[in-house]
Amino acid sequence: MRKTTAVIALALPLALIVCWRAAAHHAFSAEFDKEAPVTLKGKVTKIEWINPHAWIHLAAEQPDGTTVAWMVEGGTPNTLLRAGINRNSLPIGSEINVRGYQAKNKSCEPACKANGRDITLPGGGKAFMGSSGTGAPKDGSDPRDR
Amino acid sequence: MTHTMTKCVLFFIASIMASWAHSEPWSLQHLPWGDPDFQGIWTTATVTTLERPDELSELVLTPAQALAVEQGMEDLQEAIDNIADGDLQAGGDVGGYNSFWMDPGTRALRVRGEPRSSIIVHPEDGEIPYTIKSQLRFYWNAYKMLSRENNPEERPEGERCTVGFGSTGGPPMLPVLYNNNYQFVQSPGHVGILVEMNHNVRNVRLGGEPLPPQIKPWLGDSIGRWDGDTLVVETTQFHPQQFMRLAIKHQVMMGSDTRVTERFSRISESEIVYEFTVSDPELYTEDWRGELTLRRSAGPIYEYACHEGNYALPNILEGARQKERED
Repeated sequence: MRKTTAVIALALPLALIVCWRAAAHHAFSAEFDKEAPVTLKGKVTKIEWINPHAWIHLAAEQPDGTTVAWMVEGGTPNTLLRAGINRNSLPIGSEINVRGYQAKNKSCEPACKANGRDITLPGGGKAFMGSSGTGAPKDGSDPRDR
Repeated sequence: MTHTMTKCVLFFIASIMASWAHSEPWSLQHLPWGDPDFQGIWTTATVTTLERPDELSELVLTPAQALAVEQGMEDLQEAIDNIADGDLQAGGDVGGYNSFWMDPGTRALRVRGEPRSSIIVHPEDGEIPYTIKSQLRFYWNAYKMLSRENNPEERPEGERCTVGFGSTGGPPMLPVLYNNNYQFVQSPGHVGILVEMNHNVRNVRLGGEPLPPQIKPWLGDSIGRWDGDTLVVETTQFHPQQFMRLAIKHQVMMGSDTRVTERFSRISESEIVYEFTVSDPELYTEDWRGELTLRRSAGPIYEYACHEGNYALPNILEGARQKERED
């Protein structure tokens, strides 16, 4: 059915909100603060390969030489396993750089939380970066995958 | 005959048999009790959306259009991944994750080899035919659902780990951004469909009686039958909290009394054609129909045990409380 102009005028902004917020298992904008981008650097201290999202813990280096405990949210372990990632792919102690957005909950108990939009290794090595045929999961429909 | 010679002869015979077996045309296998064999792990992942994008007018895509759709997804992922070095921007549409975390498929939907612009095949415009009243209800419900943060019960089902987001659990079982796998397990009188996200099982009772009307399972009550070698499943009595199924690739409103009729036809070793019809005169001006292809997927399906570490829900609620304190 073609919608009336009035319905479209009402519907479009709402539709954009709906589509944008429903991006993952949870609404990104409900959990994370888009006004609070963070850039973190430090050593991996723990990885939780748990559903619905994996969490990577790191000791983020501060300018004064101390560290602050952060945990960053990644994707679903099911997708990661299909992409060939396993518990040995990112050893504890690895140096990583993280870009993401801090959780709206900024209590930092037991650790500060953020989403791990991009996680890269020092020197440009990529960890948990997709696209360009660099590890994006295959879905089996492309004969070239087989 | 020497040992080496024996091995050589056996290998030669095995090679001939393997090549002979390989050249056999595929035929539908039947289980010992006679039902067609649909068992295995299947995926619906595709870049094609439920409803047709505005820029495409026809259901069937030309090869050039199909390539453009697939290139569009690749370009989108490139754009998401290749943002400038340095600190991220604050505000605006910041995006959630780079494409590594997602698995939205790489190809346009093909049904019996025909590339498609939408999963919906009827109505002809490729859109869900809501009545004006239900269209307005849809947007009001969506607004309510996504703006309330008082307690877990007000958050969407996907966040609460009861069922996967959108209509991945179905029926109709629609592709989302990741974890689009299903496992079919059959026994006499039953077809079990395990949905990867959130590890829900739909137990289709072949020739069974409907559940009492007060029982409304998350994925509805499914009764099946065989129409020749096609599995036909009728489902209704959906859980009332499954009425809004929101995902990037589809946004569907259904009711407890909405009826979904699915037809599964296995056409090859690697494909099941999946057709569905959604009926509800209260919500839609007419029945709407869709078609998908379930493709063989490499297993196993890992348990998507969503409750084991769902930090997101407390984070969302704590974030809302913090905002209240600040306001």
